[in-house]
Amino acid sequence: MSTPAVKLNPRRRKSERHTQVSIGDCKLAFMERADKQNTKLITNQPYDECLEVNDSEEIASLYTPTPRLSVSKKKSRLLHEMANHSSDEFEEDVKPQKSEQINGQPALSDNEEEEEDDDDSDETDSDEEEGELGSAPEGAYDPSDYDHLPVSTEIKELFQYITRYTPQTIELDHKLKPFIPDFIPAVGDIDAFLKVPRPDGKADNLGLLVLDEPCTKQSDPTVLSLWLSENSKQHNITEVKVKSVENPEKNPKAIENWIESISELHRSKPPATVHYTRSMPDIDALMQEWPSEFEELLGKVSLPTADINCDLTQYIDIICGILDIPIYKSRIHSLHVMFTLYSEFKNSQHFKALAEGQKSDTLSAPRSATAEPDILAFD
Amino acid sequence: MILSRVKPANVHGEVPVKKTNGKKSPLVEDFLNHRDYLGAITLLEFQRSVGEQVGGDDLWVPYCAFHLGDYKKAMEGYKAMTKKPDCHPDVWVYLACTLFFLGLYKEAEEASLKAPKCQLQNRLLFHLAHKFNDEKQLMSFHQELEDVTEDQLSLASIHYMRSHYQEAIDIYKRILLQNRDFLALNVYVALCYYKLDYYEVSQEVLAVYLQDVPDSAIALNLKACNHFRLYNGKAAEAELKNLIDISSSSFEFAKELIRHNLVVFGGGEGALQVLPPLIDVIPEARLNLVIYYLRQDDVQESYQLIKDLEPTTPQVQSSVSLTEYILKGVVNAAVGQEVGSRDHLKIAQQYFQLVGGSASECDTIPGRQCMASCFFLLRQFEDVLIYLNSVKSYFFNDDTFNFNYAQAKANVENYREAEEIFLLIQNDKIKADYVYLSWLARCYIMNQKARLAWDLYIKMENSAESFSLLQLIANDCYKMGQFYYSAKAFDALERLDPNPEFWEGKRGACVGIFQLILAGREPRETLNEVLPLLRNTGNPQVEYIIRILKKWAKENRVSL
Repeated sequence: MSTPAVKLNPRRRKSERHTQVSIGDCKLAFMERADKQNTKLITNQPYDECLEVNDSEEIASLYTPTPRLSVSKKKSRLLHEMANHSSDEFEEDVKPQKSEQINGQPALSDNEEEEEDDDDSDETDSDEEEGELGSAPEGAYDPSDYDHLPVSTEIKELFQYITRYTPQTIELDHKLKPFIPDFIPAVGDIDAFLKVPRPDGKADNLGLLVLDEPCTKQSDPTVLSLWLSENSKQHNITEVKVKSVENPEKNPKAIENWIESISELHRSKPPATVHYTRSMPDIDALMQEWPSEFEELLGKVSLPTADINCDLTQYIDIICGILDIPIYKSRIHSLHVMFTLYSEFKNSQHFKALAEGQKSDTLSAPRSATAEPDILAFD
Repeated sequence: MILSRVKPANVHGEVPVKKTNGKKSPLVEDFLNHRDYLGAITLLEFQRSVGEQVGGDDLWVPYCAFHLGDYKKAMEGYKAMTKKPDCHPDVWVYLACTLFFLGLYKEAEEASLKAPKCQLQNRLLFHLAHKFNDEKQLMSFHQELEDVTEDQLSLASIHYMRSHYQEAIDIYKRILLQNRDFLALNVYVALCYYKLDYYEVSQEVLAVYLQDVPDSAIALNLKACNHFRLYNGKAAEAELKNLIDISSSSFEFAKELIRHNLVVFGGGEGALQVLPPLIDVIPEARLNLVIYYLRQDDVQESYQLIKDLEPTTPQVQSSVSLTEYILKGVVNAAVGQEVGSRDHLKIAQQYFQLVGGSASECDTIPGRQCMASCFFLLRQFEDVLIYLNSVKSYFFNDDTFNFNYAQAKANVENYREAEEIFLLIQNDKIKADYVYLSWLARCYIMNQKARLAWDLYIKMENSAESFSLLQLIANDCYKMGQFYYSAKAFDALERLDPNPEFWEGKRGACVGIFQLILAGREPRETLNEVLPLLRNTGNPQVEYIIRILKKWAKENRVSL
């Protein structure tokens, strides 16, 4: 991505090499030019004005970004163009220093093959194609190519219509599509040691042994407060700040953690005890077997279910009556006794094994003396 | 740790200050050892609320809040203490530190000057001088720095912020040699190497620390950034996700940094939600938002964001200011071309030049791109090519690069390669751009493929641009002796605008086709198409020309 780790520097080397090569070629070019002067003259060609070299020179002189670069490159380009001319045997020309502006393209008629060769070699080392600058677009129309056609005078006259129109040079707009840098990540700044020391004057070594940053596992203040008040038995002294979770659907972890830490807190608490205002029978006593007659009756009649036609309080009274749980003014304490009884049966290894044995044997197994689980099944 | 914040924090929310009294119990020490500052604060506040009567002072909670990164809470704690008559004068410099991290630099300076002279105060004033760009003050506080670890490390961090990474590394390495157990310094060195673009080295040094503290947020974020540079956004994102997973939900430190970087690693996803509030808090946020808008082609929004941002220093000093300069150039170039403003283009070119010509950037890819852009705006395409050629291997199949590259090639009349490069471009928006179409058409014509140029015209809707393209095809084809398509284009032009010049062009082109037929370069049957083209014009010359053509056809037994 973006910046390379190892920096490159082909540019400088290249432009230097370039300049050298061009100078060599340039000398050659001048010599050849000298030989060939006066051999042929070539007229302006239709595409000359498109070279635009004038233009860029002008701008360059107004504004030269890096003197070294622009000067040397300007030179190298100029020389290079001349070098190109030199490589073209059919080059023939006006004065060398003007060549770039006036000519710049060789006649192409017969030497097309050679042109092709030149281009091919240029394409192979495409890094160097500034050198192609001076070469004209191949295949530009040249009326002299058709001079040899054996046609009547009438047609020859007609042909003059072709040169009578001078095609316009259409200037095209350019558009620099600016490169957009990559997004840049932020790494933050380095510890500047602008930090408050420990109040007791001890060294905390923050920023030295470890980075001065909090650890990623910070206590949850709410959970910790609950723990603290639990341990100190000082309830309701601190107001507990409850924070809310933003976007809970996206943040199941926060909720799970909360549930986990709260249940942990509850697990550590001693079980809640209820102080009955009136005396209640002992749970062990309630767990005793019923009289055998009652057991027998249960074999024929089932206990009343919740579907029985009475309201809830009446139903509670019935069930508590059957279970020998007294009911005083409030049914709450009686219900507590009843559910404690249920819980005892449920958690008792003895009855659990019995109940399971019953289930796994057969459903039609006779009800034995241990019908208590059944009794509680209505719940 | 963000020292570069510009925007002051909003600190006006009032929090009641409780009356306190309490000495920390051994349990607080445990929390501090684990850098569980939230736990420590909770415990301290609990002890305070139950009124555990032990001697001490109020400094512990702000101390914890400060290191938690909750500078606002720390500031409030210290501020309350400074209002008491028996306040220890050192508290002022602590208050100043919290104000500094909240971006309240003026207030920080005022507060720190109320404290008695001490090393911490000097370090703070040193950094404040850097913030205020006061070189003279900076030098004088620099003189006051002593050869003690804290002062030297503070100096190193100034070097870092001024992009003098090597100087910073030298300090860290020297101190590390004397104190091998100062592991945190490895992270600082890694940060420097990151800034120097030595991402692999940065990773290596960083690993030393992560081995010891595997859940460090700063180190893991740096690791993610290294991965972003070395590999890609996905790899970087994975590192940050890991950090988020191992953090408890109450962990708020560096949260802004993480949110910011998740946008960066996600290629800009969520930029509009996350970045605006982070502008001037995280220095990169504004620039990333500009980059986001540029990628959405929203030049105006990006201009609004960056136009008032005056680069703070005249030199390219850090990677942030580097990108700042590049973006200034890019945005001005985009605006300048959009509204045709020479002033913007001039500014753009100057920024490009500034970056590309700087000693640190002249040999980097962005530096080369800047120089190429500068010369492009100056229309010096030979120079553009020198720079683009030097980096082109990094931009294979990059549409933006190829668009500029092909234009430069075409401008130096290397039409063959220009055509090839134009055709590599995939982006439909670029391909519909008239600049693309016109230059590609010219390349086709110069490469003797006039028919393809004509096809480009056929696919265009009728518009001023399609008219311009016709003119281009008519005239360029004429120059290149591709008279058939020149004649067709002139004919179409003439029908849209009966300008006698178009007739002259068509006349010449039609005769040109005839000449090509005679030379055996165009099939004789084409003559059948020439006649209707000529007849579309009601000019007396038409009959004269047609007569000659018919005569020739008869003599040469060409059926018309």
